[in-house]
Amino acid sequence: MLTFDQVFKRYETGQEALAEVSFSLDPGEFVFLTGPSGAGKSTLMKLAIAMERSTRGQVLLDGQNLNQLPARKIPELRRKVGVVFQNHQLLFDRSVFDNVALPLEIAGHPPSEVKSRVRAALSKVGLSNKERDWPVTLSGGEQQRVGIARAVVHRPPLLLADEPTGNLDPELSREIMSLFQQFSQLGVTVMIATHDLDLVREIPAQRLHLQSGRMVQP
Amino acid sequence: MSERRVTGGATQRLLSRRDRLRAWARHHRQLFGSTLSALLRDWMGLMTTWLVIGIALSLPVLMLIGLRQIGETDHRQVIEPAISVYLSSPSGSAVTQGLISSLRQMPEIRQVTLISEAEALAEFSERSGFFDVLNAFSENPLPAVLEVRSVSTEGATIRLLTQKIGALEGIDSISFDAAWRQRLSSVLLIIERITLALGVLFLCGVVLIIGNTLRLTIENRRHEIEVIKLVGGTDAFVQRPFVYRGFWLGMGGGLMAWIMIQSSLIYLSVPVETLARSYRSDFALEALGFQESLVLLALGAGLGIVGSMVSVRRHLVKIQPN
Repeated sequence: MLTFDQVFKRYETGQEALAEVSFSLDPGEFVFLTGPSGAGKSTLMKLAIAMERSTRGQVLLDGQNLNQLPARKIPELRRKVGVVFQNHQLLFDRSVFDNVALPLEIAGHPPSEVKSRVRAALSKVGLSNKERDWPVTLSGGEQQRVGIARAVVHRPPLLLADEPTGNLDPELSREIMSLFQQFSQLGVTVMIATHDLDLVREIPAQRLHLQSGRMVQP
Repeated sequence: MSERRVTGGATQRLLSRRDRLRAWARHHRQLFGSTLSALLRDWMGLMTTWLVIGIALSLPVLMLIGLRQIGETDHRQVIEPAISVYLSSPSGSAVTQGLISSLRQMPEIRQVTLISEAEALAEFSERSGFFDVLNAFSENPLPAVLEVRSVSTEGATIRLLTQKIGALEGIDSISFDAAWRQRLSSVLLIIERITLALGVLFLCGVVLIIGNTLRLTIENRRHEIEVIKLVGGTDAFVQRPFVYRGFWLGMGGGLMAWIMIQSSLIYLSVPVETLARSYRSDFALEALGFQESLVLLALGAGLGIVGSMVSVRRHLVKIQPN
């Protein structure tokens, strides 16, 4: 599903973010990406959705080489990926429903289908009764779940989450992790970047560990 | 409506071409109304922008209308004064009749009109307001006049013609101010050039106004644009709402310009017609017709779309999620 082959990334500022990173995720696989802040977790995520390009080495997503992908093909690529951000990236001038519906509307699904899919996604994250609410009236955990609903509503084969439990208490974090596990059981490839090691220990899953931009044994 | 399994468990529905086309049309339909209502939410700001665009559009259009109507009207009467031939004999005399017929035979002459003493008096008193002064004379002091119009509009040719006519019998004096005519036509040419140059400048101004208004909107919606790009929105999808905003800004500006132009034309028409009558012209300022009004609105809308494209291209490209 997602393959990094000898990936090296240096930013224009000269900062080396990743060096010789190689790994491969199979469809339906569930992995944690761990490492201290600044180890390159976010850079790795950005490379996977073509927000950045690698300086050397190859990134392959669903068989496509992202280094050779022309800019106009990027939107199509991103529709295959669901991304959950630490800061949710919700649009605060739109209702919960409209936020979750965004990827479907962009892809051009008919309204009836949008409605049923958004409801299904919201019910999956336990927010069925909040579809008409505004994101600003929701708690941090609820906002995060809206973000997750938006990331999975178009049923992407790959789900990336960058510190999805960053601001949440342990109870909520566990709930959200179990949601991700459910998606993985449905066949979605899931990669979660986190530095919450307590949580990682509780869940039996493969672990990729970054240290100063290099992949090391945890 | 095919359900396809994409490498592994997850199912992602792929949309048919028809579905995509429908979605595209739906997005356009939806934006047509939603962008206008979004703009109307700040109606004070919208009105200001519309007025500015309206003013910028109406000035060159008004000047163009003026020029075009001067061009279309029987402009020989306004721009090319006739050669006035003052007669030494009364209008009914045989000398005068002979003169008229020999003038009419000249191929250089397009038209000969006789203004009798009585007609000259009537006209003079009507126009000059010297009616009382003329009344002081016991008899009509004005001579009969022939208004001669040349085929050529060239100053030099007309001057030659004037000399030729001057050699004929029964003529007291001839007046034709060639220098005046030439000066007027150069002035008109300058005004025409100025109008075109100003027109181009003002139209560029409209494009820039719309572009700048949209730049601020784009800046305010930076986060939204980033998020849309992150979840797979194409550049076209992101641009579309701004293009519609540009369309509405230009269209509304065109409507404002239409109102300003029509009311200016009505306001100007009376003095202009009075002036034209003093040149014996039936020149009249006409308000914009239905087709011209549509062209004006389309011009506004078109400039709006161009302005939005320019601005959106420049600013949206810079906004990338990070």
